[in-house]
Amino acid sequence: MRAIADAIGFNLVVISPTITLVLTALILLFFTITIESNEKVKQVITFSGVVSTIFCVFLKFGLFLQNGVSSYFSKKILLDEFSLFGNVLIGLILLFNILPIWDSSSQLREKTTEAIILTLMSTSGFMLMVDSENLIMLFIGLEIGSISLYALAGLNRVDKLSNEASLKYFLLGSLASCIFIYGVSLVYVSFSVLSVYDFATGVGFVGADSVPLTTKLGVILIFIGLLFKIAAAPFQSWAPDVYQGSPTGYVGYMASIAKASAFIVIARLCQVSLRFMPNEFDSFFLLVVILSVIIGSFFASVQDDLKRLLAYSGVVQSGFILSGIVSGINGTSASMFYLFAYIIQLIGIFVIFSIINGKMSSNFNIQDIQGLIINNKFLAVTFCTFMLGLAGIPLTSGFVSKFILLTNLWAYQKYLLVSILLLSTVAGFYFYLKPIWIATIEKTETPVQNFKIKRSEYLLISSLATMTIFFGLVPSSLINISRWVVQSYL
Amino acid sequence: MISLAYSFILLPIINSAFIFLVPKRRGELFRPLSIFLSLIPLGLCLYMFINQDLKTSFVVVDSISWISAYGIDLIIGFSGMSFLLISLNCLLVLLSILSVNQDHGSSKGFLGSIMLLQGSVNGVFLAGDLISLFIFFEALLIPMYFLMGIWGGENKRYATIKFILYTVFGSIFILAGTIYTGVLSFQSSGTFALDFDSIANISMTSNQSKVLFLLFTFGFLIKVPLFPLHTWLPDAHVEAPTAGSILLAGVLLKVGAYGILRVSIPFFTEGFLEYQFLIAFLSVFGIIYGAIVAIVQIDIKKLIAYSSISHMGFVMLGISAGRYLSLEGAVIQMINHGITSGALFMLVGFLYDRRHTRRISDFGGLKKSMPLYAGIFLFTSFASIGLPGLNGFVGEFMILMGSFPSFKILSSIAAFGVVLAAIYMLWAYQRIFNGQLDNDENAVLTDLNSKELVAVVPLLILMLFIGVYPSFVESYIVNDVSIIYDAINSLSGVLE
Repeated sequence: MRAIADAIGFNLVVISPTITLVLTALILLFFTITIESNEKVKQVITFSGVVSTIFCVFLKFGLFLQNGVSSYFSKKILLDEFSLFGNVLIGLILLFNILPIWDSSSQLREKTTEAIILTLMSTSGFMLMVDSENLIMLFIGLEIGSISLYALAGLNRVDKLSNEASLKYFLLGSLASCIFIYGVSLVYVSFSVLSVYDFATGVGFVGADSVPLTTKLGVILIFIGLLFKIAAAPFQSWAPDVYQGSPTGYVGYMASIAKASAFIVIARLCQVSLRFMPNEFDSFFLLVVILSVIIGSFFASVQDDLKRLLAYSGVVQSGFILSGIVSGINGTSASMFYLFAYIIQLIGIFVIFSIINGKMSSNFNIQDIQGLIINNKFLAVTFCTFMLGLAGIPLTSGFVSKFILLTNLWAYQKYLLVSILLLSTVAGFYFYLKPIWIATIEKTETPVQNFKIKRSEYLLISSLATMTIFFGLVPSSLINISRWVVQSYL
Repeated sequence: MISLAYSFILLPIINSAFIFLVPKRRGELFRPLSIFLSLIPLGLCLYMFINQDLKTSFVVVDSISWISAYGIDLIIGFSGMSFLLISLNCLLVLLSILSVNQDHGSSKGFLGSIMLLQGSVNGVFLAGDLISLFIFFEALLIPMYFLMGIWGGENKRYATIKFILYTVFGSIFILAGTIYTGVLSFQSSGTFALDFDSIANISMTSNQSKVLFLLFTFGFLIKVPLFPLHTWLPDAHVEAPTAGSILLAGVLLKVGAYGILRVSIPFFTEGFLEYQFLIAFLSVFGIIYGAIVAIVQIDIKKLIAYSSISHMGFVMLGISAGRYLSLEGAVIQMINHGITSGALFMLVGFLYDRRHTRRISDFGGLKKSMPLYAGIFLFTSFASIGLPGLNGFVGEFMILMGSFPSFKILSSIAAFGVVLAAIYMLWAYQRIFNGQLDNDENAVLTDLNSKELVAVVPLLILMLFIGVYPSFVESYIVNDVSIIYDAINSLSGVLE
């Protein structure tokens, strides 16, 4: 196992992004409930908060260069490549989503800023989650992040579907949290440690063969709790309803942030804790990946609601990313690339959805994008770009991510997995091309209209689309970053 | 100078961007502008033809680092065979734009898509590594999807989805093969290098070679298409617009055969020797099957589509025989089929624009109202059948002659394909053009106008030219074919 610099203890820089986010949320809350202030002030507070969060992430890079991989607060907070990558990714997700969320909250009846406050709070939770070395810390981060998401899902109080989504997300999410914390307790019972590194040391000490069954069960339960967040089958049942019912303006954020942080935590757990238990959990993860890919592809092919379609496509993509993470270190690096590319496409798709469907609406029938090309060529072209990126057609980042992931899986000799993933790509072409057909080709008398698109949204969408194309044409830089993320485990 | 090869990919893309930038209200500009723009790549072909020694085997023109961490580069290369196919592509694009009707000619999306298609097909022919080959192979689906989807016939949705899913299903095998090759390359050299030079140097066992041959060849054969993987082709042809059909038959089907010649056989020769009989058997089955099904078609376009299956069966027979003569014949037949079927689809398009039907039974006696058209159709039919003196004869004769030593019975059966071709083409000609002109709608049809003549006559000239002077084409492919033949010959030990 690689050496970690000695625990340095109290260091505010390492949790500065979280602190900044919480402070911003509190100031905003204070302004909202006490002083009657105008939109401009709140806007300035929010955006300066987001910018300073990203600045704090840069500060952490400085700390990393100085100290290397190190843990703080008596082995609670970890500073390593995964946490830095996670911080950057979460910062970007916040940056790309703050605009749609801001616009949608102005459509609420009370015109409050509670959506922004919830978003900042949940981001702070997930920031903490990817930073945590301690399993309890991880749980706290997960809960802070998730509870805000439950509230976001139900923010449109007058919409029954939104209420349903919120309740469903909350109930099933709590169940997952219970499973997670139960797993933690089982692990604690046998080794009396909560740090992921100490756990690995413990396993190395007793030897992988003599790890008690309860501990193995505990590890499985911890993973189930996390797999729930990434909507991998068979833990995907919440995803379609939550995607469909939640206000469209928030879904992009909700989907991407939970996935990004849970995947980074899973990747770290697999690389740190499970390295000493080779092949122990392979069949479990193999089952999850295969089920995700098959169930996701099958149900995505028969959806009539675009948001449900994206939910099931997310199940498939989760299967892809997970397959790389659990197969080894190079696979993890490929999965990090995949995760980044997927998150960009997902946010892009949902920004477009929130423009066409209206930020606070729930249902989004596939026929509602009919004739998009007639009304707005820009949206139609970018929509096609993101969809083709998800399908993995060459010249988009989706192809590169699939290619390097499958190359690594093949190098690990996982031929069955590669064949199933390749076949699901064909199914993917079927259900990703369906919306493209309806948006661009199908003749219609009444093309979709009544949507306004702002200049800032043009900028946001075009930059996301540019990233999708750019990383498809010139992927080298991002691949080098994704290899840097895992380099210390090589 | 040979580095101009880049421009065959970039020029069409720039051209299509140019077309998209012209404002929509200047609709009358689109067609003349796109004719002018598509003259540029063709002019470049001509320029290279005059100034350059193009009769080379595959030479690498340039490489760009794509994924440096994996050692994967994108490579553009060039050879005599590539040059011929690119020239064919550029010519057919120009002619198909010349032949489009008013409807399609005033749509910039249509013209732009054709140019994007041209660029990606050229990319396949210029690819110097497996990744760029795959990228362009899949990228050509995007323009084809819109061409067939937006401007297709009544049943276009079914045909388009079928076409896309078949091709994607084939391409996942190519992707799997590419990945497998990359991993093998990693095991022998430490990088995932996928350029043709590195692949040639990979030491692989005979089983690996067989698996890889099957993976690549299956993917390419769907595109050819070989019986029984052909069922997407008739649907796609019937529903595609005329220009789409011309390019689909003219160049897209060549992409599959080109891939087999460029990748499957030279690099995985052991696999080829193992499965060559199977491919030959399926090809001959396809030749006879396609011809018999073509006889009973009631739709002219579908008839030509099935004849394509038959003709591409000849190409695959020539390739699978692995003899020098048969390989040469196969490449020449690829070019021939591009010219002939392109012309046939164009002629059918002209008729459809006038009459809005393609049912053979709706016609009869057209010779009287459209004598020039009838003459040109007959000429093209003769070329397609393989009348000596025209191009079809050269290819089929070389293929049958060359493959006879390898597969005596199979090539004897395949020879009947020529007879069947005469039946379906001439019988169709008889029903359309001979007999009484009893339908009033047919009586008022106008003969070909000068615009249409300009579009079709270059192809007729080429048919005659290749028919009487085939060694011109042959001189360009000699080096490519020798390399393929040497690869086969050094392993099989059979001497010509």
